[in-house]
Amino acid sequence: MGLTKQKSLLLSRKQKEAFVGYGFVSIPMALFLFLSVGIFFYAIYISTFDWGIMGPTKNVGLDNYRKAFSDPIFLKAIRNSVKYAALVVPIQSALGLYLALLVNSKIKGSKFFRSAFYFPSIASSAAITTLFIFLMAPDGVFNGVLRFFGVDTANLFNQGAWLSDSRTALYSIIGLNAWTTSGTMMLFYLANLQTLDSQYAEAAVMDGASRRQVFWYITMPLLKPAHLFVVATGMIGALQLYDQAILAGGADGSPDYSLMTVVLYIYNACFRKFEFGYASAIGVILFVIIFSLTLLQKSLFGSGAWKADN
Amino acid sequence: MSKVRKYSFYALLIFYSVITIVPFLWSLSTSFKPSEEVYQSNLIPDAPTMKAYATVFGKIQPNFQTLFANSLFIACVVVILHLIFAALAGYAFARLRFPGRDVLFFVVLGCMMIPDQLRLVPMYQVLVKMGLINTGPSNYLAIFLIKAISAADVFLMRQYFLTMPKEMEDAAKIDGAGPFQLFTRVMLPNAAPVLATVAILTFQGTWNDLFWPSIVLQSPSHWTLPFGILQFKGQFSTDWPPIMALVVLSTVPILALYTFGQRYIINVQLASSAKG
Repeated sequence: MGLTKQKSLLLSRKQKEAFVGYGFVSIPMALFLFLSVGIFFYAIYISTFDWGIMGPTKNVGLDNYRKAFSDPIFLKAIRNSVKYAALVVPIQSALGLYLALLVNSKIKGSKFFRSAFYFPSIASSAAITTLFIFLMAPDGVFNGVLRFFGVDTANLFNQGAWLSDSRTALYSIIGLNAWTTSGTMMLFYLANLQTLDSQYAEAAVMDGASRRQVFWYITMPLLKPAHLFVVATGMIGALQLYDQAILAGGADGSPDYSLMTVVLYIYNACFRKFEFGYASAIGVILFVIIFSLTLLQKSLFGSGAWKADN
Repeated sequence: MSKVRKYSFYALLIFYSVITIVPFLWSLSTSFKPSEEVYQSNLIPDAPTMKAYATVFGKIQPNFQTLFANSLFIACVVVILHLIFAALAGYAFARLRFPGRDVLFFVVLGCMMIPDQLRLVPMYQVLVKMGLINTGPSNYLAIFLIKAISAADVFLMRQYFLTMPKEMEDAAKIDGAGPFQLFTRVMLPNAAPVLATVAILTFQGTWNDLFWPSIVLQSPSHWTLPFGILQFKGQFSTDWPPIMALVVLSTVPILALYTFGQRYIINVQLASSAKG
């Protein structure tokens, strides 16, 4: 006790605060500098080498990047990822908004429905995708429901093999993820809906606006923060698609590379071909795409979150 | 609301609930079905059997207990690491003044921008050099290192500490508490909700993660549940009941956690969208 008292006499309160501050951030900052910052620059470094299983052989400059854009499978992966993002983002956002509007109304059981709608978002992608593969099998429940409604699934263009036909595999995964992520999107919209001031809508109703007009001209514009957030997180998540693709289509994104995504492509380059330099270059390309989207999001939102407030 | 409107409204809610819940009931039902019944459309099995559970608890290698223990072990260690580092750094960034603080916090925000897929190749190279890509127990360290800290959690903790009223500290300051005592006696005890949020989301994320385990874990005795499901799905391609048993068993803990911690999860969704 006497010792600490002496120390506090030697160090001013300000110095002591700074001392504790550095102590508290030292290990976290060391980890960030190693696991994120250092790793980031190491990724760029590796991407400029012909780097095989025995380590780097020679510096190839930007050749790995050039190689990527001349590989038809990589271009296919980019096309798949873009197609996936372009479809899944609007669907999951619209569905999330719709569900949020449904459970936001003052009705009995809205808590139950909110939990039920969020339910698919909590399980692991491994569990859900495996379940989905089972339900979508040619003899599975999905085709059973179609047959119940009189669809002759055996004579469909894909014989009801939704995930093993290259024409429908990606769309099936889009359906899967629209279903699983819409619950999360619903929560984002709910959060925004609960902050809305109802006086605008009430005033509009007094002026004789219809329910539809209130929605399109009042509610939708006021939900702009949620729209931007949901679309940005949705796009970033969509470009990182990996779990569902490898579970349903294996490492090749079968059938016929229809489930090959950019991340799956990195996985292949790294662990099947052991082209670490090349794989790293693809990682950097993916980062640049995601980074640009994030910057776009930040600029749309304003820079509030970026300033360390005092 | 008119009656017709009200009924159609409920019909819609119930319809979508069916879409979200029935698939899970189907996996539960299938896990109790004998193989002949798998593709039949009955939700209640005609001849329910525990065979699939006997398979996943006994016959498969690694068995369910091993997968479960690995998932639990990894998730718990990562939760503890995230809590410690996020609380320490979050508090320092929110409440302590020291030269260079804002620059360091800017670095943390920058780390949020780096996707795991970019870290894959360099991280793997580093882990190989450190000798952590192996079939021994030190292989777990590879996962712990990769997931040791989360910039998003530091950010979340900082935001929470920023909103805590200064008066709470002032009383303790008058009693002569230094910055360290303020942290342990005032800030931490009052941060229970955000600590719970960080713990639940980290647990869920680590428990459900397939990406890193599928890349780092070398020995089947180290596999986690999602990785086990991926592997066994290939092995038992047409024998669905044991796979569905794994799906059910891996989802139950996360469902329990969600039911128990629902308000914390919803809190963070609110927090993260408010920050946007």
